[in-house]
Amino acid sequence: MRLLVVEDEEKLAQLVKRALVAERFSVDVAHDGREGLDLATAYDYDLIVLDLLLPQLDGSEILRRVRRGNPRVPILILTARDAVVDKVTHFEAGADDYLTKPFAMAELIVRVKALLRRGSIKRESVLRVADLELDRLTQQVRRAGKRIELTAKEYGLLEYLMANSDRVISRNMIIGHVWDQSFTGATNIVDVYVRHLRDKIGDLDQKLIRTVRGVGYVIATEESA
Amino acid sequence: MKTKSIRFRLTAWYAGLLAVLLILFGGSIYFTLERFLERNLSDTLAKEAQTIGESWLRDVNQTGPGYVAGEIEEHFAPSITGRFVRITRSDGSDLYHSGAPESGAFDPKQIGSKRFDVSQSLREEHLPDHKELLIFSLPFGDRAGNQYMIETGAPYDQVERALRGLVISLAIAFPLIVGIAIGGGYLLMRNALRPMDEIATTAERITSRNLSERVPIVPTGDEVERLSVSVNRMIERLEDAFHHISRFSADAAHEIRTPLAIIRGELENALQAPGITEELRETIGSALEEAERLSRIIDQLLEMSRLEAGETLVDRTRFDFTEMTRSTVDQMRLLAEEKNLQLKFKGTKPADLEGDPLRLKQIVVNLVDNAIKYTPSGGSVSVSTFPQDGKVILEVADTGIGIPKHATSQIFDRFFRVDKARSRLLGGTGLGLAIVKSICTAYNGNVTVKSGEGTGAVFRVELPMEKRI
Repeated sequence: MRLLVVEDEEKLAQLVKRALVAERFSVDVAHDGREGLDLATAYDYDLIVLDLLLPQLDGSEILRRVRRGNPRVPILILTARDAVVDKVTHFEAGADDYLTKPFAMAELIVRVKALLRRGSIKRESVLRVADLELDRLTQQVRRAGKRIELTAKEYGLLEYLMANSDRVISRNMIIGHVWDQSFTGATNIVDVYVRHLRDKIGDLDQKLIRTVRGVGYVIATEESA
Repeated sequence: MKTKSIRFRLTAWYAGLLAVLLILFGGSIYFTLERFLERNLSDTLAKEAQTIGESWLRDVNQTGPGYVAGEIEEHFAPSITGRFVRITRSDGSDLYHSGAPESGAFDPKQIGSKRFDVSQSLREEHLPDHKELLIFSLPFGDRAGNQYMIETGAPYDQVERALRGLVISLAIAFPLIVGIAIGGGYLLMRNALRPMDEIATTAERITSRNLSERVPIVPTGDEVERLSVSVNRMIERLEDAFHHISRFSADAAHEIRTPLAIIRGELENALQAPGITEELRETIGSALEEAERLSRIIDQLLEMSRLEAGETLVDRTRFDFTEMTRSTVDQMRLLAEEKNLQLKFKGTKPADLEGDPLRLKQIVVNLVDNAIKYTPSGGSVSVSTFPQDGKVILEVADTGIGIPKHATSQIFDRFFRVDKARSRLLGGTGLGLAIVKSICTAYNGNVTVKSGEGTGAVFRVELPMEKRI
């Protein structure tokens, strides 16, 4: 899969590129608006990551022009502008997702993958990590065959972690996905829930949910981490 | 009527002054007129007595008393004009005595006899029936050398009647004049001061969110115009300062976000390097946590500057604030349980509100989170919502460490911390309550706190309910 990253900040562009390459994407980088538009129209990319404040040509303008010629390519806006108005206008102009700087690399990856899966999405109905099993249809969780009762929030949290297993998920991503934006001031709520979740799934002898300091949480089998 | 308004006070002063002047003026008229009438009457009486003496009494021994009486009756007709005339001989007997007047103004028999004085005099005779007579006495000798006393009198109530008439007309005229002065003055004042009222009303309406408004300028060229112009200049300076600040914080946030994104990316990247030591992992993790907090601070600062600029009120839906609070409290229950706190919610009446539910929920989250943070384990946090007087009230009470008195006024300021070391340990951004205040202000509500040190704190939010017609 081939991705285009349009970002004028050299270092950030390299970081994004490295993270995406690590996910086995091939990545082109454009450092200004003109170059970005040229590349976006010249090649058939699978996805475009687009900054808004760009030299020479504004990101919003690129979005409009690309959309005119290619209505299907997913475009993810990556910007420092986080006003609701900005989000709304760009979604209306054809953006598929909107991520505000600063962001966790994991979040960018998760979102990129979600966009690429979109349309042809094949959601597995049963998620598995080691001997932990989550059935999305019946909303049942078992560990080593033993049924575990979870509250709605705990279930939401576990499902989110398991759907992104082996990937470190930030507290803000969890807040945004399981709670809502109004909880961003109270991120410690995630820690409390994770602790409860660990208790319930008996995560003492064989640890599945690990804390990555400064980043967030990851669910993984011990060997794979 | 507002007794403190300039309009009222000036009118009252003018009216009072006018009333005092009128009373002084009326009093002087009264006394002048009284003196004038009295003198006039006494002059008339003296002249009458003189006439009687010189013309007829002088030759009484030749003409006889009958002639004198006839002349007096003919010239003065005392019974008809209501006059009193008496001529007394030196032995005390009457030579002439006018009868009772037809008007019945006085009874002449009641008038005491005058002792024989040597000089002429004027006296007031008080009759037993409370009537007063002004009497002029003139000693007079005829050609034969006999002494007489001529007395002419008139009821004093002539003067009194005239004075009473004056008093009545003044009593009618004065209130009328003062009333007209009050009414006219009040109207004049109101017209002159109406622009002041408008200036005050507009100035009161202007807050940080409609600084582009200006007070009306009345081109009268007087003090009022100058006032409105200078008020407008002041608002303009405020507006400039305000724009500058919010512009600056928005720009600053933008500029800081990109480097922050790079710092975070680099650190996350470093974390994935192979063979990284546990010690380094901890260091990077700590740096990441700080980067995370920094970005939260910037998010919130930007959020506040947007709230103050009034940009974020686009999303307006109608929802039940009580229900939203209940579910939010439920979501946060685990946080309280972790600290062994009781988290109680009270709220049965639905309270419909129009606004952005997510943003208004932020108020609940921040206040409850704050209460949980500052309440030691074993305590309790009580949340209640209810509608009251067209407002939705949210109260969050805790049994925590409370807020010292000197700090209650600053508690909603950005980055204000009562106990610097302690709060940082709890990992806040120092902006939670400032955001609560910004959101409340954006929705025309307000937030207050009541607390004493060590007795817990009660935060009270009031949000006006939007009424749909």
